[in-house]
Amino acid sequence: MQTSSDIKKIIKDSLFTGLISLALFGPIVGLKTSSKGEGLFVTPHIGIVVLLVAACITGRFLIGLNSLRKKEINFIAKITSSISRYMDNKGKHVAITGVMFAIVFPFLPFTDRYVLDVSIMILTYIMLGWGLNIVVGLAGLLDLGYVAFYAVGAYSYALIATTFGWSFWVCLPLAGLFAGFFGILLGFPVLRLRGDYLAIVTLGFGEIIRIILINWYEVTNGPDGITGIPRPSFFGLEFKKFPDEGVDSFHTFFNLEYSTMHRIIFLYYLILVLALITNYFTLRIRKLPVGRAWEALREDEIACKSLGVNPTNTKLTAFAIGATFGGFAGAFFATRQAFVSPESFTFIESAIIVAIVVLGGMGSQTGVVLAAIFLIGITEIFRDLEQYRMIAFGGAMVLIMIFKPKGILANRKPTVTLKDHIK
Amino acid sequence: MNKNLLKVENLTMKFGGLTAIDDLSFSANNNEITSIIGPNGAGKTTVFNCLTGFYKPTAGEMLLNRNDEIVALKKFTDYKIAQKAKVARTFQNIRLFPAMSVLENLLVAQHNELMVASGYSIFGILNLKRYRDKEKGAIEKAKYWLDIIGLTNRADDNAGDLPYGDQRKLEIVRAMCIEPRLLCLDEPAAGLNPKESSELNKLLEFIKNDKKTGILLIEHDMSVVMGISDHVVVLNYGKKIFQGSPTETRNSKAVIEAYLGVDE
Repeated sequence: MQTSSDIKKIIKDSLFTGLISLALFGPIVGLKTSSKGEGLFVTPHIGIVVLLVAACITGRFLIGLNSLRKKEINFIAKITSSISRYMDNKGKHVAITGVMFAIVFPFLPFTDRYVLDVSIMILTYIMLGWGLNIVVGLAGLLDLGYVAFYAVGAYSYALIATTFGWSFWVCLPLAGLFAGFFGILLGFPVLRLRGDYLAIVTLGFGEIIRIILINWYEVTNGPDGITGIPRPSFFGLEFKKFPDEGVDSFHTFFNLEYSTMHRIIFLYYLILVLALITNYFTLRIRKLPVGRAWEALREDEIACKSLGVNPTNTKLTAFAIGATFGGFAGAFFATRQAFVSPESFTFIESAIIVAIVVLGGMGSQTGVVLAAIFLIGITEIFRDLEQYRMIAFGGAMVLIMIFKPKGILANRKPTVTLKDHIK
Repeated sequence: MNKNLLKVENLTMKFGGLTAIDDLSFSANNNEITSIIGPNGAGKTTVFNCLTGFYKPTAGEMLLNRNDEIVALKKFTDYKIAQKAKVARTFQNIRLFPAMSVLENLLVAQHNELMVASGYSIFGILNLKRYRDKEKGAIEKAKYWLDIIGLTNRADDNAGDLPYGDQRKLEIVRAMCIEPRLLCLDEPAAGLNPKESSELNKLLEFIKNDKKTGILLIEHDMSVVMGISDHVVVLNYGKKIFQGSPTETRNSKAVIEAYLGVDE
């Protein structure tokens, strides 16, 4: 029942919201400064302010009306819960359809260079999300410096490839190895810490790596970065328009018209395969004793000790494996850009990857995919709005936190069931 | 085989100026239930924490008879007590892995064997048959224990969703999954109703008789202590004030004084 006093309350509430938004938007949006000739002038934008405030008032009013109804239409929560129910039943079909779609994606009619570039970026983040999911989602170690391993991977690839000229397929595992080594190096001192303390130390580590990259000029070339990183080749065939004398290039070998798209499509498949390997590995290792021990450590470390599980080693493996996949992603990033600089490895990158894992639902592989598409996709769609797109990013996070505080797909499936075993 | 399982000699544990355990000596035998009782703050749980490697005692020895080989528990730290010395424990406030299934809880307890079987994950990633067989064996073992406590039909539910009494039992069988020589139970009957408490007695009798495991029990519920103990050690202010059979304990003047106080 809607009583008039309730309505009154809602109106009061929305008018108050209007007041706050006026106070905020008034000076921020309403007063624009411009310099003409000499001096600074203020140009008022009253129209936009009125529009924004009106939007806030109506929005608040509608939310209030909605909350009055007996059965609250919790529409996002409903959608996501039906998604997770569906995923429980048909998870495998959805995953296979998703992979099939990803495989044919580059040849769909609407796929142009821009869309493919964005997809490569999303896939990179999905891979990073899957890698971090081992550390944060399974082992429950909040790592805010994951970008450090991404950076180590990218720089080791860049340095090895430019110094020794080895091929991508040799440098890739080396980059992963280096990153994994750094994971262990960081892991030893910090894994005695827990929770917030661990988060702060890993955050610091991320910054340390970046600052080393900036200042170690002799090796990393400082803020100028490393240029001329070799592109990956297709089984030895390069993607060059004019190949060297006597050497086939991709398009001459297959008798194709030269197109820059060839390389982009190849990069797309490369990151797709790398991401799927990460996914397969994570899904498998979760069902192994070490994976179960990670989750058990997340639940209760003392109980783990009483059962003879070595907490330090178990956490170290999680850290090292997560770091290795971060390193692979970094190597891919380096070869794709052909250029790395410390600017690419700021804290915001770590924050985005953590956001993808947390919003996707800790430990959920499909959740990571959805969250990556959602977060990276939204910032791309709003790219024309320049700095305002971070508002869209923040808004998306707030929405998920309100309606799905545990993440989009938060259901955990047991790694092994007695039901299947008896059958 | 030697009947004696555990020998605690002159165990002392000091926290700064506070002496929680003062020169305590007692022993526990194979296939017997030894209860440690005493008023709150007597140092019972501290004894457990020393035995299971959570504390490092200030002085004294704890000698465990591991298949006729005497090992000093002090040499093992932390998780190695469970892994190497095969001393298992449960906790006063239940410590299960609540978001993991009942079956998974029992598999984590078999972590070390499964780790070796999975070739430290290498065979496991490749999904080799030798690992799958081992895993099957581990699941069989878990099912065996679930059958005993009657939780087989809830094997795939989250451990945190079980009723309190079942969680207690699950924690005990989880500790049994590491195949311990000595099982230390910290107030297993706390919060159980009389029916659950008598089921617990049966479970402990079974472990004692069929599994040949020595049990060390901290308990306040006298019906459990008197019903199933073979041996009782009474502590007060970190000192042993009495040791004997349940009947002797009941009649001991020192014990009555400690629990009820003395007339002036």
